[in-house]
Amino acid sequence: MESLRRVAAAALTALVAAPATAATEIVVWHAYRAEEKAALEKVAGAYNAAHPNTHVSTLAVPYDAFADKISAAVPRGKGPDVFIYAQDRLGGWIEAGNTVEPIDFFIDKDTKDRFIPTTLEAMTYKGTVYGLPLNYKCITLIYNKKLVANPPKDSDELVAVAKKNTDKAAGRFGLAYAYSDYYYHAALQNAFGGHVFEAGAKPAINNPDNAKALEYLLKWLDKDQILPAEPSTALITALFNDGKAAMIFNGPWFLGEISKNIDYGLAPLPKIKEAGNTPMKPWMTVEGALIAAPSKNKDAAYDFIKYLTDKPAGIVMAVEGRQSPANKAVYAEPKVAGDAVLKSFRDQVEVAIPMPNLPEMTMVWSPATTVMNSVTRHSASPKAALDSAQAAISKDVAGLRKK
Amino acid sequence: MTAGTSHRLRFLVGVALAALLGAALLRAFVSGASRQIADEAEERKAIVTLQAATSLAHSAGDGDAVRKVMAAWQARTPSVSQVRVFLADGMRLEASTAPGDAGERAAPRRLQREEKPLYDRSQRIAAAAQTNREEQQARKAEIEAAPLGGGRLSLAGPVEKDRAPVGLVEIETALQPTPRTPGWSGFLLAVIAPLAAFALLALIIGERRLPLLLAGVACVAVSLFWMGRAAAAQIAAEQQRAAQAVAERVREQGAVTQEVARAQGLKTDPAAPGIWDVDGFRKPRGLIAADGSVDAQRLGLQMKEAAGAVRKTLLAAGALSLVLLLVAGLGGFSAVGATLRRHRQAYLYIAPAMLGMLALVFFPFAYGVTLSFTDSNLYNTSRPLSEIWVGLRNYADILGDFGFVKRSESGIFLNYLNFYWTLLFTILWTVTNVAIGVTSGLILALILNTKALALRPLYRVLLILPWAMPNYITALIWKGMFHQQFGVINQLLQVFGLPAVSWFDRPATSFLTALVTNGWLSFPFMMVVSLGALQSISADLYEAARVDGATRWQQFKAITLPSLKPALVPAVIISVVWTFNMFNIIYLVTGGEPSSSTEILVTQAYKFAFERYRYGYAAAYSTVIFGILLVYGVIQNRVSKATEA
Repeated sequence: MESLRRVAAAALTALVAAPATAATEIVVWHAYRAEEKAALEKVAGAYNAAHPNTHVSTLAVPYDAFADKISAAVPRGKGPDVFIYAQDRLGGWIEAGNTVEPIDFFIDKDTKDRFIPTTLEAMTYKGTVYGLPLNYKCITLIYNKKLVANPPKDSDELVAVAKKNTDKAAGRFGLAYAYSDYYYHAALQNAFGGHVFEAGAKPAINNPDNAKALEYLLKWLDKDQILPAEPSTALITALFNDGKAAMIFNGPWFLGEISKNIDYGLAPLPKIKEAGNTPMKPWMTVEGALIAAPSKNKDAAYDFIKYLTDKPAGIVMAVEGRQSPANKAVYAEPKVAGDAVLKSFRDQVEVAIPMPNLPEMTMVWSPATTVMNSVTRHSASPKAALDSAQAAISKDVAGLRKK
Repeated sequence: MTAGTSHRLRFLVGVALAALLGAALLRAFVSGASRQIADEAEERKAIVTLQAATSLAHSAGDGDAVRKVMAAWQARTPSVSQVRVFLADGMRLEASTAPGDAGERAAPRRLQREEKPLYDRSQRIAAAAQTNREEQQARKAEIEAAPLGGGRLSLAGPVEKDRAPVGLVEIETALQPTPRTPGWSGFLLAVIAPLAAFALLALIIGERRLPLLLAGVACVAVSLFWMGRAAAAQIAAEQQRAAQAVAERVREQGAVTQEVARAQGLKTDPAAPGIWDVDGFRKPRGLIAADGSVDAQRLGLQMKEAAGAVRKTLLAAGALSLVLLLVAGLGGFSAVGATLRRHRQAYLYIAPAMLGMLALVFFPFAYGVTLSFTDSNLYNTSRPLSEIWVGLRNYADILGDFGFVKRSESGIFLNYLNFYWTLLFTILWTVTNVAIGVTSGLILALILNTKALALRPLYRVLLILPWAMPNYITALIWKGMFHQQFGVINQLLQVFGLPAVSWFDRPATSFLTALVTNGWLSFPFMMVVSLGALQSISADLYEAARVDGATRWQQFKAITLPSLKPALVPAVIISVVWTFNMFNIIYLVTGGEPSSSTEILVTQAYKFAFERYRYGYAAAYSTVIFGILLVYGVIQNRVSKATEA
């Protein structure tokens, strides 16, 4: 009897006490591993310590399945409150509906001004801002310091240095990059003013600037002969690590694959003389923190992503997570300013262009890859290949827009 | 029911079931149609009201004028409980008659934190208007409706300045409750009448099957026909009523807006049904004439459409009822019941496996086939299937496109994405691969089968290795070996003085790489099968043949091949199906290069689904592949009697 009363008393106190300690739960999904994951968890921990009424928990979801999981779970209300993903699927999620919450209403001018302007553009769709940019990635010039003393500043220098380091018979190349991947080719294409979409999400891949860029690539390939044939990622990595590639165009994801005995340096992509001395403008992928539309705690979620993209969190993500934050103020911090890699990417991003976040962009990749393959294999002229890609893309986009 | 049951009873049950099914289907259709007509009428009335308010807001502009106008208008429109006007510039709530927006919270003021949905709505509508303008088609709704529960609706539309959206007008209006479901008397009559009639006739006719069948069909048909006529009349009347109601609302709102505008000293356009009676994309419906009366011609067209739908449903219901009647009357149900009872133990044993198969095989297959009738793609996965139904359009696109030769300035070239090209290529791929596999497997088996071969176990292990390694890894290794500069094959060719070949540049050489890789992977299976069959041939046969003077070749043709047939034919069927669907090799070695010329049906379906995100189309593609293989399997089976013992 006594023990029963005690148990009843304990149960009652538990019931009464529970609501008093109920905190707002924010669930964050991300696709990070290793250092980035650890850095994100550290930031979340710091936020939890500073805000006792909110509890942020992070969940790592494998990258391959991430986008599909979001598309399937979030509109049905079974997803997280916040998720971190690149801007390429943003348009598609917005069109599908009930996935991403517009945050125009929450943002004030100070928050807007803290970001590199192009990164905020990447998070904007049809005039509305849908997420806060967290970090950016873009390709830059990576060179082998033993073979290249001074990185080239323009295309003439680039070709000269590359020719000096090319010996096709011996399998050595001055410049090796995945030129048949449209993402990498975009850097060259954007220098010539090329683009994929015109105003109003109209596909226009067969514009003359794109053709000029392709012809310029063929010059490097056929006339200057500084590039290897059939450049797969495996080949590029192998060539660079064997010291057989003097310069490559690649992004921060590649730095972890470079072998320890290669002394490498980073430099901004060169200016193209034939394009009016315009620098190569790579596409940048911007990862943003997005709020899920069915979330029940949007205010708290916004508070967290504002903290996540602020300076202290940005420093942790940069120094420990090895990311390139989109927050301008982070780069003034000595630990970040002194890091050569982060500084190079910060310089490169000044000319980078955000990759289109339109849903129609998903229709572009397959025909664009066909263009790159057929042009570099000389089975089609640039103009013919671009025209057939334009036809395919227009057809797919029209099919997408059919009601 | 046992075999001794009378035919009359069977047909009576059949008539009952048929009448029930037919009447139920018709009733469901009618109640659905009435609900739809009523809902549409309510929506149209609400939109007319909204547009009337918007036209007043336009003429008032902003400031105090719009506040006074909105208050006056709402006072004269009893169905509306509140109206708000929001301007995006400065996030200003310009006018509001909501009870909560009084005193400190009175308009004009900036939106507060919890009013974010209003701001988002305004942004969404502005973006929708921009999208529709850019794409020059009506795709996104410019008037948003959100039910509020309790029969109330919140409706919002854009307010424009110089034809560009600058804000929105939102009203909350009460909807008239949807009509109660129609009484059951019609349904009961449609069921009981044919039953009674048939019972009487059956007494007269007796036990003859054909007259009973005709009588049953007549009873059910007449009953359904009458029910259909009544349904058509009801729907036509409801459409008429709905049209009148909307026209009435247009006239009423016209009068109200004129009154309010005059009272405030504003000029406003008279009621223009073209701008007021619009659909969600702000396109005029054209059902009301300029003077506010119903356009009889358009209404007549609408009613004819509805009558056509009733007719179609009647025919479908009639057909299904007829089937049911036939099955029940001719003893179908009693036969099934008897079988189940006789073999009930057997059915119980296979029940668990059937459940598993149902969940893991039949349901996904059925879902795939269903998906093939829709236009599912990346952006409408969350919409219900009935909304994106397109029927046989995907199949028509795949099978009806015969244009696989195209003409351009640079001459004639093949359209590699065409289904028939891919089919031809897949057949070519399958035939060559199976031929190579069988031939090389058979030759190696014959060699391995020679008597007293030294180190035979070692050879057997080595020759099984290609099959033992995962074919994914093998494909990637072969792809690397065919690299133009660094690949082993080209380096070998150069050792022999031959020029290096750029394997993936031309369709023929690209096909060769895949052929070689798959040949490497497929010969072990054929070799094992042939070896097994060879070892089962008795040596006496060869002895006898040699004694009779047969040559080696004659021995092979007369003894070996026929004995191999029972083992090889099933192996060939399996190999054909595997090779037809050999995704790994094509995807990993050639990747379809160059320009999708070496794609087979399966890789095309994959690319349509996961690179172009057209799930419905890819599902149709897969169903077509299944159909082809099914036909092949059935024909092959019949021709070779391969599965017969």
